[in-house]
Amino acid sequence: MPTLRELQRSFAAAVFADDGEPLNADVRACGVDARARLGIYRRQLHATFARTLALEFPVIERLVGAEYFQRLSSEFQAVHPSRSGNLHHIGAPFAAFLKQRFRGGPYDYFADVAELEWTIEECSIAPEAPAFDLHALRSVAPARYADLHFEFHPACRLMSSAYPLLDIWRANQSDCTAEKIIDLGSGATRVLVQRSSKAVEFHALSPAEFAFLEKLWQGCCLGTALEAAHGIDAAFDLGAALRRCVALHALTAARLTRTSSNDAA
Amino acid sequence: MRGAAHCSGIGLRPQHHAEFLERRPALGWVEVHSENFFARGGMQRDILADVCTHYPLSLHGVGLSIGSTDPLDRTHLTELARLERDFNPILVSEHLAWGSVDGRYMNDLLPLPYTAEALRHMAARVGQVQDFLGRQILIENVSSYLQFNGSEMAEWEFLATLASECGCAILLDVNNLYVNAVNHDFDPHGYLNSLPPLAVQEIHLAGHSVERFGTRELLIDTHAAPVCSAVWELYGAALERFGPVYTLIEWDAQLPALDVLVAEARKIEQALRVCRADAA
Repeated sequence: MPTLRELQRSFAAAVFADDGEPLNADVRACGVDARARLGIYRRQLHATFARTLALEFPVIERLVGAEYFQRLSSEFQAVHPSRSGNLHHIGAPFAAFLKQRFRGGPYDYFADVAELEWTIEECSIAPEAPAFDLHALRSVAPARYADLHFEFHPACRLMSSAYPLLDIWRANQSDCTAEKIIDLGSGATRVLVQRSSKAVEFHALSPAEFAFLEKLWQGCCLGTALEAAHGIDAAFDLGAALRRCVALHALTAARLTRTSSNDAA
Repeated sequence: MRGAAHCSGIGLRPQHHAEFLERRPALGWVEVHSENFFARGGMQRDILADVCTHYPLSLHGVGLSIGSTDPLDRTHLTELARLERDFNPILVSEHLAWGSVDGRYMNDLLPLPYTAEALRHMAARVGQVQDFLGRQILIENVSSYLQFNGSEMAEWEFLATLASECGCAILLDVNNLYVNAVNHDFDPHGYLNSLPPLAVQEIHLAGHSVERFGTRELLIDTHAAPVCSAVWELYGAALERFGPVYTLIEWDAQLPALDVLVAEARKIEQALRVCRADAA
């Protein structure tokens, strides 16, 4: 009899790699051979993984169809097996997997759709955090505003894509039955994804707003972020942009750095 | 718990959350999968908090992989402990199973060989979990589709000894017991009679399917069908031995309307009434 660890390794090889040889002798046949018995577990391994992945990426499943999604799931699972007892985590590398799988072809946009769906997942389960009060800036001398750094709410993400992602996402919701042709070249997406108390919401951003928030998200100071926004739109309104962020609960805190406002971009 | 007025419950799944909270059916308790609520924030936690204000809660884990020979996942355990602390459940349970090795998870409830080595391992691991949580947990028997040649004892002997050695309670899944009795040709009543009566503190009921393999049929634990009559009969026998314990209907795949699930739970109440009348 192998040790418990040896047995578990043989079992994993039998279901992951369909290599039942090392385990067959340890399994009682009793009318059904070991290969068929292990086949039940192999089937469950793929079915559970695919079912969870489909729950996390319903739009991708709808775009490719349920049957093809199963194939994609098995391919994905072969290179990215679950690493946790909490299946929720399996979807984290799916967008990168699709990027490589469909790079440069007509389905190149799948990766961005998957990234949006994973962003929604992450926002849905992120912790709560206190809202930011702009009055907190009263204690900061105006001359030092450019050195401010901001922290974003954990349930908030920025996302951009060359494709009209929100149109694709909305047209592929389960309650949307109308056939709609979407021109993939009809416009880029720049969006702030944010969980409110009841649901995950999308807030479209102008190119300048996106550049501004992207710099802040990267940890740059306000001066650098403002410079990036003005590089796109000379009329960019800093006050309006900050007030919008606060209203959306996108920010939670601000802090000053000791250095000058010239961050490395 | 024992003899409680309302022992019938359901496994509450996300598809039913909104309707369940709106209608609040008369049930004694509800059970959720612990891992579905590991999130630090968001709507799921709000829902669980709402559920807890109206029903006693049981946390049922499916992913701790207690029987694995990998080290226990401290992150998972910490999340479970936080959930337990935040929601104060009446019961916390896991499985007589493993699901991972060398860091790869199959996210399934895989059978152990019933050996002295596996028993020592399980007893130590259940002990670690109980110490970490600071409370007794329940361990559930799982369905299986194979047995290992090297097993040195029967499943019921393994489970009973585990309970006595590490002080855990037993969550008896009567459907799993029936599935295994058919798949592995043993007498389910002998299994029931081998378990220490006071250790069984919760019962699960669920549906299964039948699959043919050549000349032989195996039962597959699908949680996708009503409880069959043979399992209801076995449940009656379990109540005779263990008394009225918390019992729930588990239904996870091809989920029916909430009404159907609640109607199944009503059948539990009927069986519990018969059990109490017999005891009176």
